[in-house]
Amino acid sequence: MKNVSRKRWLATGTSALLSVSLVAGCSGSGTGSKTTGKQVVEEPPKLETLTYWVGLAGNVAATLKSFGDMTVYQELQKKTGVKVEFQHPPAGQEKDQFNLMITGKKLPDVIEYGWTGYPGGPEKAIKDKKIIKLNDIIDKHAPNLKKILDANPDWKKQVMTDEGSIYSFPFLRGDDYLLVSNGIALRKDWLEKLNLKMPETLDDWYNVLTAIKKSDPNGNGKPDEIPLLIGKGDMGGAVPFLGSFGVNYDFYHVNGKVSYGPIQPEYKQFLTLMNKWYKEGLLDPDFAVTDSKLKDAKITGNQLFATVMSTGSGIGNYTSLVKNKIPGFKLAAAPFPVVNKGDKKMWSAKTFNFSGAVGAAISTSNTNPEATAKWLDYAYSNEGMMLFNFGVEGVSYKMVNGYPTYTDDIMNPKDLSVAQAMARHVRANFNGPFVQDKRYMEQYAAMPEQKESIRIWSEPTNERKLPLVTPTSDESSKFASIMNDVNTFKDEMFNKFIMGAEPLDNFDKYVKTIEGMGIQEATKIQQAALERYNKR
Amino acid sequence: MDTVKTAAGAARKRARSEMSIWLTIGRDLRRNKLLYLMVLPVIAYYVIFDYGPMYGLQIAFKDYSPGDGIWGSPWVGFDHFVEFFNSYYFWRLIRNTLLINVYELIFGFPAPIVLALLLNELRRQYFKRIVQTITYLPHFISVVVVVGMLVDFLARDGIVNQLLSSFGIASKSYLSEPEWFRFIYVSSGIWQQVGWSSIIYLAALSNIDPTLYEAAKVDGAGRWKQMLHITIPGIMPTVIILLILKMGSMMSVGSEKILLMYNPLTYDTADVISTFVYRKGILEANYSYTAAVGLFNAVIAFTLLVLSNSISKRVSETKLW
Repeated sequence: MKNVSRKRWLATGTSALLSVSLVAGCSGSGTGSKTTGKQVVEEPPKLETLTYWVGLAGNVAATLKSFGDMTVYQELQKKTGVKVEFQHPPAGQEKDQFNLMITGKKLPDVIEYGWTGYPGGPEKAIKDKKIIKLNDIIDKHAPNLKKILDANPDWKKQVMTDEGSIYSFPFLRGDDYLLVSNGIALRKDWLEKLNLKMPETLDDWYNVLTAIKKSDPNGNGKPDEIPLLIGKGDMGGAVPFLGSFGVNYDFYHVNGKVSYGPIQPEYKQFLTLMNKWYKEGLLDPDFAVTDSKLKDAKITGNQLFATVMSTGSGIGNYTSLVKNKIPGFKLAAAPFPVVNKGDKKMWSAKTFNFSGAVGAAISTSNTNPEATAKWLDYAYSNEGMMLFNFGVEGVSYKMVNGYPTYTDDIMNPKDLSVAQAMARHVRANFNGPFVQDKRYMEQYAAMPEQKESIRIWSEPTNERKLPLVTPTSDESSKFASIMNDVNTFKDEMFNKFIMGAEPLDNFDKYVKTIEGMGIQEATKIQQAALERYNKR
Repeated sequence: MDTVKTAAGAARKRARSEMSIWLTIGRDLRRNKLLYLMVLPVIAYYVIFDYGPMYGLQIAFKDYSPGDGIWGSPWVGFDHFVEFFNSYYFWRLIRNTLLINVYELIFGFPAPIVLALLLNELRRQYFKRIVQTITYLPHFISVVVVVGMLVDFLARDGIVNQLLSSFGIASKSYLSEPEWFRFIYVSSGIWQQVGWSSIIYLAALSNIDPTLYEAAKVDGAGRWKQMLHITIPGIMPTVIILLILKMGSMMSVGSEKILLMYNPLTYDTADVISTFVYRKGILEANYSYTAAVGLFNAVIAFTLLVLSNSISKRVSETKLW
């Protein structure tokens, strides 16, 4: 890695070495490219090594230093003979590191990222000559992925840009069962203790939360129960209580017409309700500053009644963590709250098969893209799908009646959560360039309440959610600069309105401010993007 | 450089042509090669890390895209500056940056001077040493740890709230209240740096001629008068130099500490130019826009520095250049 050594030399800061490294840096260009007059041979040269940039998932980082230590990649190396050098940015700094990395000349061979996060979108990344357009390469060298995309036109639409470019080897959720993994959940045992029914409407919720606040369901004699914890971080996914009014925290569409949620009158209704709940102590007074660790502590500390959580690291993890600590502890998914009984449930955290645009792209610095594509394509073969979802037979799974069953090490780990134990072997429970298998989720979320949660959270129609639209590369910087200001402002005001630091009478002024930032123009851009998407 | 050698060199220089300057420098290099060798890493540091990156400043006037590179991106003139001046957050950022610095100037700057003067009055050496050690130890705690401590102490169920609630004061989450942010930031900064910063003043104090004190005693000056008329004037040059330097950094706040301490709830008082630049530039990849913001910031800071130096030149004899 010339650029790494170059950095190290620079850091020593001696001019002699500096000049040498510049020479070394320059000698790298001009070689290895196919600028010779000869035609490229059909069969690509053998791939020896690959550099692979990817964020280190938290569940992996819990026990391993690099993806290279995972069962799946150890096995992959045996099978393909390709030595992969993983480059992981420090946890929590993936975005910064990515944005800095792409300004450089020499990129890693493979970059795995949520490509909508590239400044200007994935199409711009191709135009900027950072990654290569993969359409032809997939046609010629990635038969397995090609087969999958051809068989699922809907998925193909999602992995393309408006211009029709395929930019990455995508992470695909292979079954609709995998599309919902979080929503609002509550302590079922507390409900039963107080003889309350599962809340369905907003009024039910109000009554239940008030009852929790007034009684002492955890039985410690102190009024330390927190009825509800939701924050703006939950608004991007499950849209709890805001979705009940029919809008979301971002752009949405009604029959193809795009609008912006946080400036609608419905949004004001939601804020008014939350402000009331906050004042009455039903909403956690620290909702705005509670991070995931604090949230975990409030749940396992037997204080929190209801919040947004996921099937695996929420319901599953919490239940196993407090198994011997809190007798009777039972979580259950709650149906999506509606305003009036019988209303249509419109919003959920349901994602798309290609969610977050996570995929492994081949960079322009890669000297052997054909062979790299072949290597990446392995994951989409039947063998590869087994490897990425279940690992190696006898190590991480066993075949029981033709069903790949995770071993006990994974399902009943010592000192680890199931998610962490699984991440030692496979990428099934986070993401990656492969197709996720339904049979993973059936085991990962095996408890009846987990199965139930997937069913309940899948109920809403989600008809107003925008598909994965992308602005054109010309529009994208305009769009980004408008939305940066808008998002910062809307996040701040979300908290202020709910906490009463800003009276709700100022809502119109708030809408005016957002309009002044150019939300109309941004809405137009999204509208056009939606129309282009529908034409894909 | 005003040694006899260079003076002689200067005399010869008048006699010779342009070339002789290089000869003189060459001779000086040979003569003091070890000194030059020692200064080389410092020069290299500034060239590589401060002057080198200035090449990239041009992106403030361009529409930088990683594909075109720094040189190849199109020029857009002052567009990014105009965008920043018209930004909804412009005044808030300026206000926060300046106010936090003004607070630091009013409360943070005199604190080590006062501590040094107080320590100077102590007659028991061992007690003086204990106080010094205790006050400068926090300097060695990393800022991440300090903020971690603040978060724990000031949390709703933290030690501060427990103490206050025993006096019947309702507990609140101090780090999510914008009106508390500046106080917490500045006071924790004083706690961390006061002992360390007082060392330079103590050094200045030890330079004061003891005969002055003896003369003052003879004239019947008490401890208070001595401090007023000998000690304080004695360290004044040091104070002024540090004050000028402080003025130069008026526009830059230690962004690391704020980044660790703030959250969207306290942006109102906590979001400063450097944190804004980090969020917009690194996280949202608006390289050009934030380069413009950073450059604007640097120009203001530079102006402040020059201004305070020239004021100081007029009012007192002390100056940086």
